[in-house]
Amino acid sequence: MADPESTSDNKLRSILYMFLFLYLIWLCLSASLHYQELLAGIFFCLLLTIFLHRQYYSLGLPPLTIKRFVFFIIYLVVLFNEIVRANIDVAYRVIHPKMPIKPGIIVISTKLKQDIAKMILANSITLTPGTFTLDIIEDKFLVHWINVQTEDIEEATRIIGEKFEKYLRVIFE
Amino acid sequence: MRKIISIVLLSIIAIGIILSIAEIPFGKPKMKVGKYYIDKGVKDTGATNIITSVVVNYRGFDTLGEVTVLFIAAVGVGAVLVTAEKKQKERVTEKASLVLSTGCRFLFPLILLLGAYIFVNGHLTPGGGFQGGAVIASAFLLFYMGCRWKRINKIKAQALESLGGLVFIITGLLGLIIGNYFMMNFLPKGIPNQLFSAGIIPVIYIALGCKVGSELAGVIDNMIEESE
Repeated sequence: MADPESTSDNKLRSILYMFLFLYLIWLCLSASLHYQELLAGIFFCLLLTIFLHRQYYSLGLPPLTIKRFVFFIIYLVVLFNEIVRANIDVAYRVIHPKMPIKPGIIVISTKLKQDIAKMILANSITLTPGTFTLDIIEDKFLVHWINVQTEDIEEATRIIGEKFEKYLRVIFE
Repeated sequence: MRKIISIVLLSIIAIGIILSIAEIPFGKPKMKVGKYYIDKGVKDTGATNIITSVVVNYRGFDTLGEVTVLFIAAVGVGAVLVTAEKKQKERVTEKASLVLSTGCRFLFPLILLLGAYIFVNGHLTPGGGFQGGAVIASAFLLFYMGCRWKRINKIKAQALESLGGLVFIITGLLGLIIGNYFMMNFLPKGIPNQLFSAGIIPVIYIALGCKVGSELAGVIDNMIEESE
């Protein structure tokens, strides 16, 4: 979401932020700390930042703080844990002779505002086996669920989305 | 009877093939020029990637021809699509889902950075101008899929493409003026395995990357325009 009160300070921060992010990727790519590689990296990252920083700003990437970074790491752990658990759950449903599945498409809602936050939530839901995000319309997610436990929006949001969203809310707000 | 004849015929053919293959010395460098490239490549050009030293230095003129072929192909696509009759019926395009469009906007600069990395390091690691340019064009393809309302600036893309081609040819001609043959490596070769080494190879690869990338992006743009 584009912030209507975008000040020059905010803009500068977003430019710096994007530059550092790209530079980190460049360092990973070149895997070298030779000064020539560093210089070339500065040149290309600066070029990309100058041309594309507005577009990155509109994505709604949050300012980087230690708290957010820590929560992001926690989020990755939670996501991994959920993926493993969901895998076991789906495997159980497949192996079980009666195949206890009840597939269907349900709607869940989210309170996240930024596009990038919604994308991360949707991809997290897709990554965990058994649930699959079909589309996002405003603040509603269309989710295909292998075992529909409830058709109520609130209840489904609590079961599917909340475990990720509580961390994402801290990271993005 | 027929079976016996066919077996005999097959054996004759098999023996013929085996005899002719046995003559070929596999695994031994037969071409003197290939051996020369491997032995002297790093010393002559300063590029640790032998394939790059062949493509851009020893056979640089050939590469210029390849670039021209690509240019003609791009022009051909443009010409065919311009002259083709426009369909009367408007095609309705569905807006991409938020997941796709956000992902595209997020990944677009990263893919461009990867493309730049590939063509800048063409003389050190696998890759080069053509590969990097193709990666850059793929970034534009992804961007067009995710954000259909946005367009590249065609005039800027064409200017970049022309600039790339010009840099290539001028670098080659400078070799002719300073040295004695087209595309002579007149810049200092530096220390092998460093980024700023190998003389004119990085310059040409950067020009090639810009040219190939903007050219292929232009082709994609033409095709998408036609489909709408």
